Amino acid sequence: MKVELYNYIKAAQKMNRRNMLKGSAALGAMAMMPKTAMAASHSNVRAEILKIPGVGAGSPTDSDWQKVGEMCLGATKGNVAEGEFAGVELTFMGLNNQNLHNFLFRGFLKPWEAYTGAKINWIDLAQADYNARLQQSIATGTVDFDIIEMGAPFEGDVLGKGLASEMPEWVKEQIDMDDYVDYLKAPVGTWGGKTYRISIDGDCHTFAYRKDYFGPDSITGREVPTTWQEVNEVSKELVGQEDPLTGLPAHGYLDPLKGWGGFGFYFLENRASAYAKHPNSPAWLFEPDTMKPMVNNPAWVQAIQDVMDLIEAGAYPTDQINADPGTTAFQQFLAGTGSMLMWWGDVGSMARTSDTSVVGEVASFGINPASDRVYNAQSGAWEETRNEAPNMAYIGWGVYVMATVDGDEKKKKAAWSAAAHLGGKDLSLWASAYPSGFQPYRNSHFQFDEWEEAGYDRAYVEDYLGSNADSYNHPNAAIEPRIPGIFQYYSVAEDELAKGYAGQYGSAQETADAIAAAWEKITDQIGRDSQIALYKASIGM
Amino acid sequence: MSLISRPYIFTLNSAQSTRYRRTMNTDGDLLHTVTADNISDSRRRLGKVMVWSTALLCLALALWQFAYQTGRIETGFETWRPILFAYVLWATALCAAQVIVNGEKGKRTLFVLPAALFVISLVVFPLLFALYISFTDWNLASPNGPQPNSWDNLVQMWNDGFYWNALKNMVYYVLAVSVEYVIAFGLAMLLNAQIRARKFFRVVFLLPLMLSPVAVSWMIGKSMLEVRFGPISRLLREFGVEPSFFGNPEIARFMIMAMDAWTFIPFMMIMLLAGLQALPREVIEASKVDGATGWQGFKEVIFPLMLPVSVTAIVIRIIFKLKLADVIINVTSGGPGGATDSVTSFIFREYRDRSNVGYGTLLAMVYLVLIVIFVTLLLKLVSRWMERPA
Repeated sequence: MKVELYNYIKAAQKMNRRNMLKGSAALGAMAMMPKTAMAASHSNVRAEILKIPGVGAGSPTDSDWQKVGEMCLGATKGNVAEGEFAGVELTFMGLNNQNLHNFLFRGFLKPWEAYTGAKINWIDLAQADYNARLQQSIATGTVDFDIIEMGAPFEGDVLGKGLASEMPEWVKEQIDMDDYVDYLKAPVGTWGGKTYRISIDGDCHTFAYRKDYFGPDSITGREVPTTWQEVNEVSKELVGQEDPLTGLPAHGYLDPLKGWGGFGFYFLENRASAYAKHPNSPAWLFEPDTMKPMVNNPAWVQAIQDVMDLIEAGAYPTDQINADPGTTAFQQFLAGTGSMLMWWGDVGSMARTSDTSVVGEVASFGINPASDRVYNAQSGAWEETRNEAPNMAYIGWGVYVMATVDGDEKKKKAAWSAAAHLGGKDLSLWASAYPSGFQPYRNSHFQFDEWEEAGYDRAYVEDYLGSNADSYNHPNAAIEPRIPGIFQYYSVAEDELAKGYAGQYGSAQETADAIAAAWEKITDQIGRDSQIALYKASIGM
Repeated sequence: MSLISRPYIFTLNSAQSTRYRRTMNTDGDLLHTVTADNISDSRRRLGKVMVWSTALLCLALALWQFAYQTGRIETGFETWRPILFAYVLWATALCAAQVIVNGEKGKRTLFVLPAALFVISLVVFPLLFALYISFTDWNLASPNGPQPNSWDNLVQMWNDGFYWNALKNMVYYVLAVSVEYVIAFGLAMLLNAQIRARKFFRVVFLLPLMLSPVAVSWMIGKSMLEVRFGPISRLLREFGVEPSFFGNPEIARFMIMAMDAWTFIPFMMIMLLAGLQALPREVIEASKVDGATGWQGFKEVIFPLMLPVSVTAIVIRIIFKLKLADVIINVTSGGPGGATDSVTSFIFREYRDRSNVGYGTLLAMVYLVLIVIFVTLLLKLVSRWMERPA
């Protein structure tokens, strides 16, 4: 090595001679290794982490998360020297749903903290509190966190206001961004041509159902429904029957009728996308030129009417009016109540690996049901053609570094290194296979052999992963706009829906009109012109 | 005659008396003044200059910043923090000036003034800010921040059926206090009687009060009353009843009332128990000697004597009730269809979930005014019963 090069690296990396020589020796050794050997050791890590704790061995615990974090530190060690971030303190804001999310991050990052010397403080939020806390921090200029777990829909609020730090090039290489499934690549995670997001999740709602409810000898005697019309028919037919697994009353589809901090609106969207997301336009929430809400057009009204019909028929479990999406997934479907559910993909892995699930053996998956007819908003008429439109609800969680670290290079590198560790290629495989709150989002996650080796049943995993892959790659996927205030639109909508479901409005149309009126008000408050421009940009128009 | 204005009579020998007279200001209150202050005019002037100059500085900075924020001038501070510092400077100068201008008397003022200024700052400033916010269309996601929108929020409130619905629910919730009172009185009578393990029961009955309403809503509302696996639901199912605690508007409202009552009945009970124990024994015994039955003794003697305590307990409980929100937010989010909404839980959703800060604040301000009027009238109405009959 040339002396000037040696001196330059020493200065740039703030490295002492000993560390420099250690690094050089390691680099030399690596260079001498055959490529196949490196690939083998890499795939070995993937196989090894998938054995922790092993499918069927109960829910993973903190020690498991720490083990996985430790085993996936390789990529970090390539970019960060040991103890390099000593004295750095970072604050991480994320969720604490179902004891997942931040609980896992703590475990994953503990070995990272031990290696780098940085310390992380945690802000834990319940799902329903997330939007409000974030909005208040933004509006009052009190961003008191350096790293945030955030969904792409908030990018309009955060990236649009210059609150995040741009991703350095070395991070892009460390996390192998090219491996993302297509719909998570730019423009998602970018704003004004700059990249800000490390994806740790990919989102779409998939259709989960109980196999024991369907087939020739089942209590329905029908095939698995593939349209919303069939879903409603089956749900009505099941009234008064007995669940084959629990002996309690049998139920069909589980709509959450109570809000969930805005997230509850995605569940009406599941029904509505099949009716409202026409292949001729990416717009299905607002008219792109005016931001006039489409939520009260006949397609959306039909979706609301479907839910009201099931309420009228007594098809839901008692007290469903008080059930939010967390209840429908964890307290109902996974616990053996109801036979059909739309949820994020992680219900699939949880059905098999969570201690609270009783439906692991009978759960199966598909994509969002279709509709026999679709509403063409441009012509203003229904078309009697079958329409499928999987709902990419929330576009997945990501990790973002806030601009608060930009003034301090050491802190900035530390924050991005922590984020990159969580978004690492190997670690994400583990997170998509075990209860984590996240679902597969990289092309490399769809290697069925790896899952099978970990203990998953091949047919089950093909079914589960297939439903995710089919949704991600669907040509008519319904993707939500990344515009400021999107969760206010959702929060208002779910609040009005809850009133409509409780009979406070005269009809589905009146409920939809109330949502539309509230949305118009929000658009005016935020600024119609800027919203139009951002909406068009976010849906690629 | 009050103690303060009564002249103290004590004996001094002549030397003490002379010294005392020399050091004491003979005008005004003689009790607390130990030293006579000979304050010069220049010192008084200095004190006044301190107060007025810092007040002007604070005011000028505030006006300057206001002009900057409203776009009238181009330079200003990034935040309002310098004005806060100027206010603190003025408050400090005001306190110091009390001693500079008034000497010993000023020191007495200093015992209260800083605390009073602190409280006023924490109440008045936020209130003024809230008043301003309530006449804006502030949405947290709006890039322009709060923009005044005249009477729009008031008009919206007037036409908002769900706000009036929440107010109507508050009437039900407040009326429920009467039932709580009857139960609390009964329990207090029971614990006042000579029953076995009285102390144990007193502690047990107080336990719910020691729980946070949030914990109650999760433990009871979301766990014990959970339709599928909650123990109460299972018990009902054993008896052939399909449980539904929050599906029907009336039942849901009743369940919220019941959970709130369970938490706060012990509070009323303990107040009433204290009142019962303070009752004059001889009056009750005299009624027994006169041949009053148990019911007559209660109706003619105990209840009238307990009226002041009862009314106090009820008024405090009503004030608690007007703040009811936590149980509702956690268990039903105001549902089904607003049937369980209290005004506070409604405002919470409007403000928090919808980030509709302007409208939410207006609703809160209106509710504040309603509460002030209601509680004032209530206190006026019950004042005749608040004092124990002679």
